[in-house]
Amino acid sequence: MKALNANRVLGVLIAALSLVYLYAAYQIPTFPIPRPIDSDAFPKVLGLVMLGLSVWLFFERPEARGDEAALSLGEQARRWLPVVVTASAIAIYAASLQTLGFVLASFLLVAGLTWFYGYRRHLVNAAVALAVPLFLYLMMTRLMTIHLPRGLLPF
Amino acid sequence: MEAFESLLYGFSVALQPANIMYVFLGVFAGTIIGMLPGLGPISALALMIPITFSMNPASGLILMSGVYYGAIFGGSTSSILLNAPGVAGTVATSFDGFPLAKQGKAGKALALAAWASFIGGTISVIGLMLVAPALASVAVSFGPAEYFSLMLLGLTAVVSLSERSLVKGLISAVFGIMVAIVGIDRQTGTQRYTFDSLHFLQGIDFLVVALGVFALAEVFVMLLQGRDAKGHAKQVLGSLKLSRQEVKEIAGPVGRSSIQGFFVGVLPGAGATIASFLAYITEKRIAKDGNTFGKGNIKGVAAPEAANNAACGGSFVPLLTLGVPGSGSTAVLLGALLVMGVTPGPMMLEQRPDVFWGVIASMYLGNIFLLVLNLPLIPYIARILEVPRPMLLALIIVFCMIGVYGLKFTAFDLYLLLAFGLIGLLMRLNGFPLAPMILALILGDLMEENMRRALQISGGDWMTFIEKPISATLIAIALVSLIVPPLLRGIRAARTRLREAG
Amino acid sequence: MFTKQVFACAAAALLSTGAIGTAVASDWKPTQPIEYIAPANPGGGWDTLIRTTARVLQEEGIAQQNFAPINIPGGGGAVAWAQIAAKKGNPHTMFAASPPIILVPLSGASRFNHKDFTPVARLITDYSILLVRADSPHQSAAELFEAIKANPALSVGGGSAPGSMDHISVAGAAAAAGVEPARLNYIAFSGGGEAMTNLLGGHVAAVITGAGEASAQLQGGQLRALAVSAPERMAALPEVPTYVEQGIDFTFDIWRGIMGPPDMPEAAVRYYEDMYQRMMQTEGWAKARDQLGWIDAYQSSAEFGEFLDGQLEQFSGVLGDLGLIRR
Repeated sequence: MKALNANRVLGVLIAALSLVYLYAAYQIPTFPIPRPIDSDAFPKVLGLVMLGLSVWLFFERPEARGDEAALSLGEQARRWLPVVVTASAIAIYAASLQTLGFVLASFLLVAGLTWFYGYRRHLVNAAVALAVPLFLYLMMTRLMTIHLPRGLLPF
Repeated sequence: MEAFESLLYGFSVALQPANIMYVFLGVFAGTIIGMLPGLGPISALALMIPITFSMNPASGLILMSGVYYGAIFGGSTSSILLNAPGVAGTVATSFDGFPLAKQGKAGKALALAAWASFIGGTISVIGLMLVAPALASVAVSFGPAEYFSLMLLGLTAVVSLSERSLVKGLISAVFGIMVAIVGIDRQTGTQRYTFDSLHFLQGIDFLVVALGVFALAEVFVMLLQGRDAKGHAKQVLGSLKLSRQEVKEIAGPVGRSSIQGFFVGVLPGAGATIASFLAYITEKRIAKDGNTFGKGNIKGVAAPEAANNAACGGSFVPLLTLGVPGSGSTAVLLGALLVMGVTPGPMMLEQRPDVFWGVIASMYLGNIFLLVLNLPLIPYIARILEVPRPMLLALIIVFCMIGVYGLKFTAFDLYLLLAFGLIGLLMRLNGFPLAPMILALILGDLMEENMRRALQISGGDWMTFIEKPISATLIAIALVSLIVPPLLRGIRAARTRLREAG
Repeated sequence: MFTKQVFACAAAALLSTGAIGTAVASDWKPTQPIEYIAPANPGGGWDTLIRTTARVLQEEGIAQQNFAPINIPGGGGAVAWAQIAAKKGNPHTMFAASPPIILVPLSGASRFNHKDFTPVARLITDYSILLVRADSPHQSAAELFEAIKANPALSVGGGSAPGSMDHISVAGAAAAAGVEPARLNYIAFSGGGEAMTNLLGGHVAAVITGAGEASAQLQGGQLRALAVSAPERMAALPEVPTYVEQGIDFTFDIWRGIMGPPDMPEAAVRYYEDMYQRMMQTEGWAKARDQLGWIDAYQSSAEFGEFLDGQLEQFSGVLGDLGLIRR
C-alpha cells in the first residue's frame, strides 16, 4: 500500500475538520435551566463520530480509480477551468444581483456562460438569455407580486 | 354507505360549474408553479389569500388545495429533466428520474411520474373519504418518542444508500446532520454554528442544499467531463409508453408507496418530503434489483412520486379534522380558511360539510385534470432537453439561482448554493454518496429535536422509547432492517462456500 | 377567473392609489407603495395581521398607496428587524409586532429591541389559554399548579422555544400560583398546532396556546380550558374562568400592533396612526376581526410606546426568575 493514497488524504482532512467542529461544539453555551440533553450534546457526539469515521476511512483501501491522476498539471488545469469560471460567475452574479437587477444580471450570466461553453450563434443566445429571465421576472413581479431586485432597468 | 352518500354530496358541491373551473385553475396554476424553478407552493398560496377572501369557503379551498397538490404533481418535471428539484417533495424523484432522462428515457420517466402521481393522489383521496375522521386518532398517537423512532428507522436506510463504501456513506450522513443542526435550537433557543450571522439563524434551507449538491454539482461534473459528453442529442424524449412488463413491475411499488405516503402525510410532523424518501428507501430495500436504484430504475421514480402525492392528500387529515397544519403549505391553507371564516377542527364535519366533502370530491376531479393536462404536455416540456447543451447548462444554473433566491430573497443563499455545489462536486469525485447526506439532512434535526423533547417529558428516562408500543415497534423494525440483510448475505455466502467446498 | 381576479385586485390597487383620500389629520401623505413586512413565513399571526390589514385598508379605500405584504422569515423575527433597523427614518416601511419583539432581544437572539423602532399603533389583542384533555383529572388552573408542585415532572407543552411567548405566559401564571417557574417542565414544540396534537394524544399533561387558536378544539369537546389570561372573561369563551378568578394574580396580553423603522418622521406616524384608527371603524374590519377571533385593542403611537416599556418590565421579571436573560 502506498503511504499516501486518496483515503489517507481524505481521512486526515476530515479528521482536521471534525476537530474544528468539536472545538465549536464546546463553545455552545449551557442552557440556564437544566435539560436532560442540552444543545451541545448532539454536536459533540457528531464531532466524535466523524472523528472515528475519519480514522476508519484512513485505514480503508481506496477503490481503484481511473487514470485521471495520470493527467499532467496543465491538462488538469484545462479540465478544471470551466468549473472555476462557472463558480466565479455565480459568485459575481450573487454579488451584483442587487445593483444590476434580476433581469440584467441573469441575462449577463446566461449569455456569458452559454458563450463560454462554446455556443456561437450569438443572436439566438442573446434572445434566449433575455427572454427567459424577462418572462420569469414579469411573471413573478406582475402576476404574483413577488419582489425581485429591479436594479438598473426602469421597470 | 355513509361515506358514499357524503361523497355524492361532495360531488354536488364540486361539480358546480364555478367550482369545476376553480379546480381546473387551481391545478393548472399549481402544475406550472411546480414546474417552474423558484416558485414553491407556499408563496403561491399566500398570494391567493386575498383573492379567496371574498369567495365561498368551499370554492376558496378547492382552488387553493388544487394549487397545492398541483405543485407537487408538477414538481417532478424539473427533477427528472434537469436534476433540479423545484419542490422539496420531489428531490427523491431525481435519484432515478434524472438517470433515466440521461439514458434517453425522459418521456418514460415523465409519464411514469404522472401516472404514479395520479394513482397516489387518487388513493389518498379514497383514504381521505373513507377514514379521515378515524385517522385523527392516528395523527395524535404520534408523540415525540414515536417521531424519534420513525426518524431513526428512516436513517437506518443510510446503510443501504451507501453504495460501495459504508464508511463514506456514514460520513455523508453525519455531514448531513451537521448541516441540519445549524441555526437556533428550538429546544433551548441557543444558537448553534451560526457564526453570529443572521443568515444562519433559521438554519440552512433544504432546497439550497438539494439544488447545490444535485443540480449545480451535476453541471460541474458535466463541465469536467468536457466535450465528449455531448452525446445524447436526438432521441432524448424516447417513448412515453410503458410496457406491460413495466406496468406489472411498478404496480406493487406504486400501491405500497401510495398507502405508506398517505399515512406519513397524516402525521403532522412528517409530510411529502419525508414520505417520498421513506417510500424510496423501502422499495430499494425490498426490490430484488435494489442495487440498480439510483441508476435509472423505474420503481425509483414511481415510488416517491406516488408517495409525495399521497402524502399531500394525507396532510388534509390533520388540517381538516384537527385544525393542525402539518407543513408550511397547509399552514397557509389553514390561515386562508380562518380568514374565510371557517375554523377547521373536530366540528368541521358537522358545521361545514360542504367544505369538507366538497374539497375531497374536488380532488378526484383535480387528479384527473392533472393527468390529462400533464401527459400531452410531456413531449413539449421535454423539448427543453433539445436546447443546445451550452445553453442548457447556463439555464440550469440560472434556474437554480432563482429557485434559491426565491426562498428568502437574500443573495447570501446564492453563495451557500455555490458552496454546496462545490461540496457536492468534491463528494462525487471522491466517491461519497449524496443520498445519505440528503436523507440525514431531512431526518436528522427532527430526530434530535424529538429525542430531546421525549426525554424532557420523561424526565431523562430513556426507557420511554421502548415503553411506548408504537415507538418500540418502529425501533424493532429499524434493528431488524439493520441486522437481517447482512445476516442473510452472510448465510448466503457461507452456503456457496460450503457448496464449493463440497 | 384566477387571472381576472388578480387583475381586478391590481386594478383596485391602482384605483385606490389614484383616488382622492378623505380628509386626513396630518398634511403628510405616503408617496410610494408601503413595504408592509411580516417578519415570518406566511401563515402565522404576524402574516395574518399584515395581509388582513392590507386588504381591509385597500377595500375600504382608506389607503392612498398600495400596502405590499412582504414576508421576511428568520430567527423569530430577528432577520427582518435587522433589515428594518437599517432603514432609519423611512416612512414607507412598517411591520407587524407582538410580544416577541421584546422577548427575543431579552433572550439574546436579536441586537434590536422595541426601543430601536417607532411604535405606530397597537391594534388587537388575544389572550393565552391553558388547556387539558377532557379526561384529565385537573379541573382548574389552581389544581393543575398544585399537582405540578407535588409532581414537577408533569409537562406543559407550548408552541415556541423556552423563554418565548408561550413559555412566559405559563411560567408567569405558575409563579403567581406559587410554583417555582424554572422547575415547570415546559416542552417546546415547533408550533401551536403540534403542541395541540400532543395534548390530544396524551403526550403532555397540559398545553398553553392562544385562545383564538383553541376555540375550534374546545367546540369539539375533546379538550377542557382551565383558564384564560384575560383580566375578565372573554366574550367568545364566557364559560372559561380567568386566572384572577381562581386566585392567581396573573394576566397576559398577546397584543399585536404595527411598528416602523427607527426615527420614523412624526408626521408619518400621525398619518398612519389615524389611518389605522379609521380602518378599525369600518365594517370590513369588524367582519375580518370577528372571523379571526381578534379583540380590538387600539392604542395610539404614544400609548403603545408606554405600553411596550411596561411589557419590557413585566417580561424581564419573569425571564429573570427563569434565569433566561442573556443580553
